[in-house]
Amino acid sequence: MKLVVAGVNHKTAPVELRERLAIAQERLAEVTRSLIEEAGVREAMVLSTCNRVEVVACHDQAELPVFFQKFFAIDPAELRPHFYEHADADAVRHLFRVASSLDSMIVGEPQILGQVKEAYAVARSVGAAHAQMDRLLQAAFATAKKVRTDTQIGSSSVSIASVAVDLARKIFGSLDNRRVLLVGAGKMSELAAKHLIQQGANSILVANRTHQRAMHLAQSFGGSTLRFEDLYATADQADIIITSTGSATPLFRREHGQQFMHRRRNRPMFFIDIAVPRDVDPEMNKVDGVFLYDIDDLQSVAASHLANRKLEAEKAEAIISLEVERFQRRSLAVDVVPTIVALQRSIEELRQAELRRAQSRLQSLNPEQIAAVDAVTRGLANKFLHMPLAAIKAASLDGNAAAIEMMRNIFKLTEVGEEDESVVTALNTSGKEQE
Amino acid sequence: MYLLWLRVAAVFYGLGSISAVPAVLGRRPRWQQLCVCFAITGWLFHFVSFVEMLSGARHLAALGLHEVQSTLSLLIATAFMLVWIRYKAVSFGMFAMPLALLLALVPALGPDRHAFSSPFIRSGWIFVHVTTLLAAYASLIFSMIASILYLVQERRMKNKETPGFLEWLPPLDTMDQIAQTSLVVGFCCMTVGLLAGSLIAQEHIGAAYFLDPKVLLSFVMWILYVVLLFVRRSTGLRGRRAVYLSSAVFIVMLSVWAANLLSSVHRFSVP
Repeated sequence: MKLVVAGVNHKTAPVELRERLAIAQERLAEVTRSLIEEAGVREAMVLSTCNRVEVVACHDQAELPVFFQKFFAIDPAELRPHFYEHADADAVRHLFRVASSLDSMIVGEPQILGQVKEAYAVARSVGAAHAQMDRLLQAAFATAKKVRTDTQIGSSSVSIASVAVDLARKIFGSLDNRRVLLVGAGKMSELAAKHLIQQGANSILVANRTHQRAMHLAQSFGGSTLRFEDLYATADQADIIITSTGSATPLFRREHGQQFMHRRRNRPMFFIDIAVPRDVDPEMNKVDGVFLYDIDDLQSVAASHLANRKLEAEKAEAIISLEVERFQRRSLAVDVVPTIVALQRSIEELRQAELRRAQSRLQSLNPEQIAAVDAVTRGLANKFLHMPLAAIKAASLDGNAAAIEMMRNIFKLTEVGEEDESVVTALNTSGKEQE
Repeated sequence: MYLLWLRVAAVFYGLGSISAVPAVLGRRPRWQQLCVCFAITGWLFHFVSFVEMLSGARHLAALGLHEVQSTLSLLIATAFMLVWIRYKAVSFGMFAMPLALLLALVPALGPDRHAFSSPFIRSGWIFVHVTTLLAAYASLIFSMIASILYLVQERRMKNKETPGFLEWLPPLDTMDQIAQTSLVVGFCCMTVGLLAGSLIAQEHIGAAYFLDPKVLLSFVMWILYVVLLFVRRSTGLRGRRAVYLSSAVFIVMLSVWAANLLSSVHRFSVP
């Protein structure tokens, strides 16, 4: 049985292709189910996010690219250059990197782990995930957690909006009950406001030259509007002001800031200016208690965080290498059990066959003597088995898959299916007793 | 016996100081837990030692130089834990723990030979006097630390410094609250302490007592303190100017402490 991760991601495929392959959340169960029904696929999980469409599968002999082509009705020639397929250790490493957010567009972003968990939950719910998938995913989650706690890969913000939130927290501590004023209703300011609300800021004021748009935006946040003419009279009520108007001259100048601070009795104020040309005069930053960040400032903080993440990513890669190795060693230890059982069973079959052949010659023996012959042959078989079994166990401890494969070839062992598991355990225990 | 507990406490403060560095600079959650654990354990031992010391000496107040230092150390550790409980700010541990360690170290080395021997220090009032004034000092030290950190953080925010070495600094608002709260607590303690001291002095020495430099400076400090609090409250003074004011009070506090050398009346040890 082989473990495979196959699919496309943001590094290999353009967005036009990814969006054709993307699977909606509500269809995930259906896709997973049809994948598990493919011939040779034993366990499967489907992960679909905006940056990747991947299939994780344990299979005997399945053509995953064919599945992709069939299921998405996509031309093989079109898919082929963007498609990747990792097997075994590489597949484990890939999955660990994905779960730890090292393979993400923005390295260290936290959503991907949740998405993997969701995909796994769907796979379980449709009965597509069993023992091997369980072990793999648990290990992936543990690795992701380790990466998150042992490195600082996710500790800093790299988007403009979250940098703004971080800075606001540096000033105000908790954002609970802070008041945010949006001046101008742009996409970016909306996003920043959304982030601030998520962090606890609870009252939103919107001021816009066209009142209609202000109303609309205020409603979407459950906030209230402010008449643009009243801006200077009421702006000091807000702790955080996000400006994004198209005004050619600065709206807020230093003297405004001084007035605000006077009226606020020096409680600090945070201006986030994402307009170009700028809405807030840079001199404003010199007012005691006023903090001003324009779009360039936010961007440079984000860029330095990103550089920091790259350093942390190197540490994370080292953790992942260790974890992959550990996972492989552990799964080999689990994987050799079928080999050992198959070997014991094949020797036992040989012994029984030989005994049956000799039956006519052994007829004259009394039951005691027959028991003795049985014991002798059994003992002999166990003696012969001792060395290869020890070698298999040693190979499993070393993580040496090639040696185990060679052993299987030498003894011509076939896979022990799940239906044989009761036999397996029975044989296994009886084998142990005799040792 | 109290010496042993004090030494154990000092060891824990030492461990706390060491663990505070990765906890604060590296922002490692595990180290932060460790640092707080060390601080709490150290504090418990210190408290036991403090109680034993007082009961052993059969008086209520800390009256030797060592005892005073030990008490101040205990109060600083207490303040650190209060800050931690209220604001979850471990950053102060980086200053509070070494300070507590240094103050606890000298008394932990050996018993105090210079015990104050004046007879009237056995009264209960002296306990109030000494302890509240020490608490006021501890609060002022904390307020000072918070104010300085506020300044550094403010400077960083204004200059838009990219994240780096000082990333661990707590939010401005938290530091402002800590500075403000500890100032108020310190003020209450100081008022009570000075009142108690005046009462004792009035009873034992009389009006002449109030001409002593130490005593005079103490009252100057108290008046400065009132001004500081008033200005801070009324104008919402923050940032640089608030720190200047705090530093002024702090320097006066240091000179009051040092004035013991000049004072002829406020002297109770036998040389």
